[in-house]
Amino acid sequence: MQTRHSNINEIIMQAIFFLSALISVIAVLAICLFLFMRGIPAISEIGFMDFIFNEKWAPTNTPASYGILSMIVGSVYVTAGAIVIGVPIGLMCAIFLAEFCPDNVYKVVKPAVNLLAGIPSIIYGFFGMEAIVPLVRENFRGNGYSILSSAIILGIMILPTIISISESSIRAVPENYAEGSYGLGATKEETVFKVIVPAAKSGVLTSIILGIGRAVGETMAVVMVAGNSVMPLDQIGILKPIRTLTTNIVTEMSYASGLHESALISTGVVLFVFIIMLNTSLSLIKSKAQRN
Amino acid sequence: MKKNKVLSMIALVLVSALALAGCAQENPSEQGDNFDLGKDITVVARDAASGTRGAFHEIMKIIVKENDTEVDKLVVGALEFDGTDKVITAVEGDKYGIGYISLGSVSDRIKAVSVNGTEPTVENVRDGSYSVSRPFLLVTKGTESELVKDFLKFTESTQGQAITDEMKFIGAVDSSEEYTASGMSGTIKVAGSTSVAPLMEKLQEAYKELNPDVVFETQAQGSSQGIKAAIDGSYDIGMSSRELKEEEASELNRHVLAIDGIAVIVNNENPKSDLASEDITNIYIGEITKWNEVK
Repeated sequence: MQTRHSNINEIIMQAIFFLSALISVIAVLAICLFLFMRGIPAISEIGFMDFIFNEKWAPTNTPASYGILSMIVGSVYVTAGAIVIGVPIGLMCAIFLAEFCPDNVYKVVKPAVNLLAGIPSIIYGFFGMEAIVPLVRENFRGNGYSILSSAIILGIMILPTIISISESSIRAVPENYAEGSYGLGATKEETVFKVIVPAAKSGVLTSIILGIGRAVGETMAVVMVAGNSVMPLDQIGILKPIRTLTTNIVTEMSYASGLHESALISTGVVLFVFIIMLNTSLSLIKSKAQRN
Repeated sequence: MKKNKVLSMIALVLVSALALAGCAQENPSEQGDNFDLGKDITVVARDAASGTRGAFHEIMKIIVKENDTEVDKLVVGALEFDGTDKVITAVEGDKYGIGYISLGSVSDRIKAVSVNGTEPTVENVRDGSYSVSRPFLLVTKGTESELVKDFLKFTESTQGQAITDEMKFIGAVDSSEEYTASGMSGTIKVAGSTSVAPLMEKLQEAYKELNPDVVFETQAQGSSQGIKAAIDGSYDIGMSSRELKEEEASELNRHVLAIDGIAVIVNNENPKSDLASEDITNIYIGEITKWNEVK
């Protein structure tokens, strides 16, 4: 009796755990299904080439034009800018925290980094609109709503991702690597930069890709600093406004209807494909690291 | 250990230097109250799907119609925001900005300019002298049913106008007639503009308190949809936040529910307080790019 009783318990609990695991899978499938069912018909109605490789977005004109090339390029530029700003700072911060940081400084910096991760993106947006945009306006040309402002805000936003993952992967490098290096007469700096950081390469790459994912998908902060102008490709500039895939959806979704609404959902499909590509490259890196 | 101390000292110095640099850069911008007319105008618009944008761009002839085509000539690089609050924040923060918002949202954070010499006030919108305004219309087709007539009577009564005022729109009729409950029952189907819908909802709530047996079915998918639905008879009342086109007007009864003024706003430091409507158009289509080109 006793064993049977515990068997039933076990089966029930197993089912509950299995269901919990299933829910996230179902959620991903449901989102995929929704996006593609709503998005693909619109893409085929507009025409794939006219949608992806057309820089003219004018949904209220007659005849209307639904090209998102300018926004694809915009997303790429803004994300690249965020990487240029965020990765060096984040990586150096991670190396400092893992290898050089005195305990009393660590007690301040580490919680600060964690806090940075917890700040809601709308707060970043407000900060960007009230502080970064005027700063860019005063020190450079233009009105401040620009690729540069967006890149600065996103660069700050991806810091926590890069710092915490890079730091833990640097800390995970086996102690005997460092000991071997010291044994050969290397200094602390040589050991860190030539032995430990290269050994933590895959973790650092993972952090960068997760950072890219965060930057590509960020919406609320970017919409407040990017200016959201659809720029023809030849007029895109680092100090000019820009519209990204995410901000296109969020600025126009509230009132859109008909094909315009479907085109916005199709924009989401393109964004989704971007994220899938990033995640695939992530798992490629991980499997390669495991083989080594 | 000594090295660590040196490193943290360097970090500390760097951080404080950055902070100081930040302060130093902010100070001149606060003091610089002289307005440089030679600077580029920052054009701020609403997103393409917004009703306010549709109305403003049409009144200001930023949308150009030719035969069957309709092209929005908004200048490349104009900032587009998805809400009145963001337009206000953008113009408040940028000395050289210009934007447009619903008259009800004007505050002292920004300056609403006169257009062609007429101030944007409730009175000027009501008597029609301030030209940048759009009507909120209710349209019906043919002879209205008693129930629809009764509801329209309510919207024009003192109670209905009180709700319109409360929602910060400008009442179109000056009626002192009070509405008394008719005790009717039935269903009224309403469709159309998303801008009119919030006001409509409040009116329906108040009407239902007086006539609890009346049921409303409301769909808000834009002015054109509402007008179409009223013409083909699938809905009793269409809501529109734009003026009717000729071919539409010939088929429908037009009731002006309210008038919504659109204010043109600039930064408080901007010396201009009166703009000609053609200058506004030229700013928005990119023919004028600097404030000193404005008369």
